[in-house]
Amino acid sequence: MASIVYNSNGLNKTADWDLKSAAHLLSRTTYGYTKQDLEFATSLTLDDFVDNHLLADKAAPQSPGFWVTDTSNTNSNVRYYELTFWWFNLMLTQGLSFREKIVLFLHNHFVSELSVVRLPQRMYWQNKLFRDHCFGNFKELTVQVTTDPAMLIYLDGTKNHKGDPNENYARELNELFTIGIGNYTEQDIAEAARALTGWQVEDLTSYFNPERFDDTNKTFMGQTGNFNHIDIIDIIFSQPETANYISRKLFKEFVHFEPNETIVQQLGQVFRENNYEIKPLLSTLLKSAMFYTDEIMGAKIKSPVEMIIGVMKQFNIQNPDYDYMRREANQIGQTLFAPPNVAGWQGDKVWISTNTLPARHIFSDSIISGRNSDLNIIDFARTYSSAEDAVQFVEDVTSTFLAYPLSENRKTYLLGILLDGAAVYDWSTYNQNAEDRLKDFFKALLRLSEYQLT
Amino acid sequence: MDRRNFLKNLGIISGIGSVSLSIGNMPLRAFSNSFMKPEAVDGKVLVLLQLSGGNDGLNTVIPYEDDIYHNKRPNIGLGKSEVLQLNNLTGLHPSMGEMHDLYQDGNLAIVQSVGYPNQNRSHFRSTDIWLSGSDSNQTINDGWLGRYLGNAVLDDPNFNKDHPMAVQLGSTQSSLLECTCQSGSLGVSFEDPNQFFQLINGSSADTDPPPNTIAGNQLRFIKDVAARSIRYAQLIKEKADTIQNKVNYPNTNLADQLAIVAQLVAGGMETPVYITSMGGFDTHSNQLGRHSNLLNTLSEAVGAFQQDLKLLGVDERVVLMTFSEFGRTVEQNGSQGTDHGSAAPLFVIGKNVNGGIFGSNPDLSDLDNSGDNKYVHDFRQVYSSLLRDQLAIDPEVMNNVLFKEFEALPLISVKSITSGGPQAFTLDQNYPNPFNPSTQINYTLRVPQIISLKVFDATGAEVVTLDKGYKEAGLYSATFGAGNYPSGVYFARLVSGSYRRTIKMTLVK
Repeated sequence: MASIVYNSNGLNKTADWDLKSAAHLLSRTTYGYTKQDLEFATSLTLDDFVDNHLLADKAAPQSPGFWVTDTSNTNSNVRYYELTFWWFNLMLTQGLSFREKIVLFLHNHFVSELSVVRLPQRMYWQNKLFRDHCFGNFKELTVQVTTDPAMLIYLDGTKNHKGDPNENYARELNELFTIGIGNYTEQDIAEAARALTGWQVEDLTSYFNPERFDDTNKTFMGQTGNFNHIDIIDIIFSQPETANYISRKLFKEFVHFEPNETIVQQLGQVFRENNYEIKPLLSTLLKSAMFYTDEIMGAKIKSPVEMIIGVMKQFNIQNPDYDYMRREANQIGQTLFAPPNVAGWQGDKVWISTNTLPARHIFSDSIISGRNSDLNIIDFARTYSSAEDAVQFVEDVTSTFLAYPLSENRKTYLLGILLDGAAVYDWSTYNQNAEDRLKDFFKALLRLSEYQLT
Repeated sequence: MDRRNFLKNLGIISGIGSVSLSIGNMPLRAFSNSFMKPEAVDGKVLVLLQLSGGNDGLNTVIPYEDDIYHNKRPNIGLGKSEVLQLNNLTGLHPSMGEMHDLYQDGNLAIVQSVGYPNQNRSHFRSTDIWLSGSDSNQTINDGWLGRYLGNAVLDDPNFNKDHPMAVQLGSTQSSLLECTCQSGSLGVSFEDPNQFFQLINGSSADTDPPPNTIAGNQLRFIKDVAARSIRYAQLIKEKADTIQNKVNYPNTNLADQLAIVAQLVAGGMETPVYITSMGGFDTHSNQLGRHSNLLNTLSEAVGAFQQDLKLLGVDERVVLMTFSEFGRTVEQNGSQGTDHGSAAPLFVIGKNVNGGIFGSNPDLSDLDNSGDNKYVHDFRQVYSSLLRDQLAIDPEVMNNVLFKEFEALPLISVKSITSGGPQAFTLDQNYPNPFNPSTQINYTLRVPQIISLKVFDATGAEVVTLDKGYKEAGLYSATFGAGNYPSGVYFARLVSGSYRRTIKMTLVK
């Protein structure tokens, strides 16, 4: 297959700012949006909307509870669930902000798993670290993550000490978190491990223990000195490839799963010029002509969390059953705070299997049927001004719910389900069986393969 | 007009909340009851068991008399009195009692020092290499098993298309089953047959062809998965329901997976490939207890599986192979664990396996640049052996699967010869070749069987049937004459049961 031809002016600002591009921007940066959100976005300029809404700094949220500072490991399961519910709630209520998607991106980048880290408190503080820095400086965040208690435990940093180095974190720092495979040697890993020695965790905090630090010279990426973790990170971030590596990961997550190397290098250049500040990079990315290339629209497979939160947002569910959402996210392959391994969720086609796809359908069915939600489908349908006009209603609903343009054939199919054999002019939300028909219609809509794309 | 006809006339498919299943161009017989009887199935099965995280080979198959081993592992090394001895130099980890029994029964082979040159110590890159079957400096985007299925099974008229080509236990599918010859995976994945059926029950597929765009291709992939899940759910439930396991499996996830494989194989699924997995082998710290538990889980599950296969009468058909992305460092680290290492042993298990140890203990006095085991067996030698002797791959397509020739190991015993089995017959190269006006084709049948020997031209069109029908064991010969056929390449194919061998012949006029 031919490769994608991105809009030719690349990172230059796009001229297109309309409902279509706004829908694309919102579907990639938020967990779901309404028609009103689209209208609001297009009432502003793209610059204004990106810089003052999507990328605006927001106050830090309240913590999920008193327990985040409790050092005991009582009620860990309950606390873990509360932590998940708390994050779901932030995703649902974030408004027109890119923040929670970046936080999830960082969770999937600097991976830790609760099963190893054990205390949900530690996962909370790591999550807060991501949120505090998500529009800040990536290099500074990397320094902070390196001595984050959850990370020190997860990748054996606390076991890495003078005389007996454990290279687990040193390897992943290079391979997965910053510069990527092929840009360091095995010797670099061994030397970096020695520079990272000395850190320990007590309860919820980490501290440096000079007794355990390897206080001698190390030679890392061709430089020699008595390096500590900050020096190692300095050297890594002085390599041009580091900016490219992180840009490539952002590209794969938010633009298209197959990276375009020319654009990745351009983004890397922007990242370096801005000293690894995240906000200017994202601002350039989201305003670029390349980001609005037709071919990539609707070509992303939704992650389970995107899909689950998205359904809640699209139907404007007010009192979601967070525990049900947690269980379903688990079933379809994305348990927050429990990525499958240190490389995180791989995304794209891995999300969809003969097991997880039907489970996605069961989830959307149960929300629409009201079995696991307080959705009133008639009231919801009537939020559309076209609710009493079956053909227009199908048109309006499909264009708001789907990023992928639906064929006429599929629209006819959905209309057939809505009408259930009746004539078009007989349709009314006041009909006796309108509720069942609306439920069948929305179930069929969300069961379309097209619905899994964004 | 009633609703059903209304929908039909629109050319669309009903299904919301209904149990009627019709799937466009998918054959409906998938849902009929005319399945082959279980006893009619004699196809061979390969079960892969992935041990994720990098299993510590040196503490699995232990060179217990090696001083270097004990010097480098003062705290985690296992001694003569602890190991389950295999011979006077080598022992199994003490928690692997069931696998030790299998070894003693001659049903377990150990291939020593399996790996590849320039071991890449990344979990992810090394896993990719094992799954894709690539060289270490090469990136291949599909899986070796996917290529096997795509090249050798997909178009095989003898393969029952009602059955999935591969089954993966677990909710996600690995790249192992992908083939660039098809979109997406060639297998079906699920955790539990009944739950899978319930998930699918009442679903419908649509057959609108998506456009050939980037997003359209993503959509096609999702639609394919939807169609596949609908197509096989009923069959899988039925096959699982047909058979009760004959042993009590331990209560572990791996044992659950293997119990389902046993049910499906014995229930008459004609699927040749199953994939199972177990994680947790990345033992960077405090590994003694952890590793012991992991190997115990492995050994108990595999032991129960073999016993079950035997009682179900299908043990002759099944071979299980373990693999892990790499072994671990020879030297223990400062946290009573081991870091990412290099070559390691793997297991091949089954009734028809040539039990024993292939290769000697790793030479710990001759290590690679990073101080770890050098590989002796390329991992693709094992693949090659299993493709040839267990799955009876057509030699013609071997190169499409592994890209190069690898010296196979005699892992599978010739006692596995059965009618239609992979070693029940041979087909020799024709002589003379190139030829004109005629050439002789010799073949040997080791047991009585029904065969056909046909010649095809380069386009795949059948030219002539040289022989067919029931034959006693013996040496046979057939002659192919040039006649009025044009110059060019011809193929002679001998088919018996679900197995076939092909030779290439050149006619020069």
